[in-house]
Amino acid sequence: MKLTSLLFTLLLFSGATYAELNKELTNDESKPTIIALAPHIVEMLYDVGAGEQIIGTTSFADYPEAAKKIPRIGNYVRLQLERVIELQPDLIIAWKSGNPSDDLARLEQLGFNIIYSSPHTFEDIANEVRSFAKITGHTVQGEEVATKFEQALIKIKKRYQDKTEITGFYELWSRPLTTVAKGSWPQQFLNICKVKNPFEHVITPYPQISIEQVLPASVELIIQPLSVNQKEREAFNWEDWSIIPAVANKQILQPDADAMHRMTLRSLTALKDLCAEIDQTRSFLQQKHS
Amino acid sequence: MNKVSTSLFALAILVILSALAAITFGPADIDSSQLMACLIGSCQNQIANIVIWQVRIPRVLVALVAGMGLAIAGAILQNTTRNPLADPYLFGIVSGAGLGATIANISLADNLTIALPLAAFLGALFSVIIVVFIAKVLQRMEQLLLAGVAVSFMLASITQFILYFGEPFATNRVIFWLMGSLARVEMSNFYVIASILLIAMITVFALHRQIDALLLGDESAASLGVDVDKLRLLMLGICAALTATIVAYCGGIGFVGLMIPHIVRQLIGVTTLKLIIGSALIGAIFLIWVDVIARSSLPHAEIPIGIITSALGSIFFLFIMYRSRAIT
Repeated sequence: MKLTSLLFTLLLFSGATYAELNKELTNDESKPTIIALAPHIVEMLYDVGAGEQIIGTTSFADYPEAAKKIPRIGNYVRLQLERVIELQPDLIIAWKSGNPSDDLARLEQLGFNIIYSSPHTFEDIANEVRSFAKITGHTVQGEEVATKFEQALIKIKKRYQDKTEITGFYELWSRPLTTVAKGSWPQQFLNICKVKNPFEHVITPYPQISIEQVLPASVELIIQPLSVNQKEREAFNWEDWSIIPAVANKQILQPDADAMHRMTLRSLTALKDLCAEIDQTRSFLQQKHS
Repeated sequence: MNKVSTSLFALAILVILSALAAITFGPADIDSSQLMACLIGSCQNQIANIVIWQVRIPRVLVALVAGMGLAIAGAILQNTTRNPLADPYLFGIVSGAGLGATIANISLADNLTIALPLAAFLGALFSVIIVVFIAKVLQRMEQLLLAGVAVSFMLASITQFILYFGEPFATNRVIFWLMGSLARVEMSNFYVIASILLIAMITVFALHRQIDALLLGDESAASLGVDVDKLRLLMLGICAALTATIVAYCGGIGFVGLMIPHIVRQLIGVTTLKLIIGSALIGAIFLIWVDVIARSSLPHAEIPIGIITSALGSIFFLFIMYRSRAIT
């Protein structure tokens, strides 16, 4: 399972060095020291210029390059309370749904100042960038990158809003075959790029389905995001199902899963690339039909 | 002093030494002079003071009482059911707690500090009540364990169904919660577990002769004037309350209840009084040291404690099976 493989990588890669970073950084009153408890939070803080203020983070915070040097104080299963107390951050930014809630509750009890990140849409990203920038003393730069992000988003939305919809299947995971539905993060990509998801209205955001349900949907496009961290991952073998139009026409896209699934400013580049690739499929289908 | 009291005395000393030694382990960098200063209340370093008094000492104390509690619950159940494989977890207590935790995670996500242990406790108690009810209906108390296994699976399937349709991250939270950890404990948890443990031990000490009579078989016990079903139900209730409380605060810490009493039988004796005291002491030492491994073996993370106890426990379990094969 995805979870177990993540757990293993995280056990293997937890060998970073404790830097003496924190001591040098704690002096400026208006620039609080921060413990950022998720990779996307670290990335946002670097985007607004607050990267140097981060004194601790969790496993997998690997972007930008400088983030790899931040001391680790736990992972998404458990935080090391002792280390957090030792570092004495002015501020902890936690991921509402991804961090252990009991550890956070304990930290709040001990008097730490915690704010939460919980982005669900592209618009949320811009809003969080603004509020993190403000609280870390980088209001100007935050406003700048957030506005730039929003304008780029509008531009992409405009470019595709009048395109004809094509039916696409989003393969989130292959064993068991799992797709996305409304309320999930990737569904926004499909909406903006004008892809009709036959499973959009399923009740759970990440439904498991069977190939039998995919067959009658006459899917014209298959999106199969792959992650660089999962080299051994076996994608679903669509070659056996040439009855599906997307397979017969070889319209299977394999975008970078890491760029798409991390909720940061970078996700917009992933959106732009994906929409452009999908548009190629659209032109191909139009040519074929005419 | 005879041989048994000597070894129990030695174990008691070992418990105290283990607890003291365990306070010196942890990811925060605190040297021994600082540690001594903080322990006697003349701490210069505020950070070290918080780490020791609010993180390490509660953890070590909860490990102590949770280890005692789980081990004696196992010992009581094994003696009252005359089944060497009885373990509080086989009565569906963990799957009940898991169901409670799941419901709390899905529906009460904003108030988890109180809701989670409470829901887990109620879930655990609920599962025991169903198990006892089924065994009563079947009129066969000796089938408690089988009923427990069935109820376990039933509750687990409900949990999985809820998780499948719930928020995706809730699954992670529940799974990791069930792996067990002492990282979240605080002093108030220690007081609650310790008081239930005290009540349980007093009750068992008062009834230890009756429980010993059960070891001879139900008919023999009845002929000695023991109300077999009533006694068994009372003991089950005590074990359930004890285990449910521990699970509510610490998550799933498997196999302690199963393996510790077997070690005690080899080392100290099989009658209830010796078994209970021995189990309490060895259980405490065991869990204190397992928690030390959990919090200090990886440089930047913790290992959930249930993983370590289950790993050690399952190997031990196979060892017992191998030994019993050699004897017969």
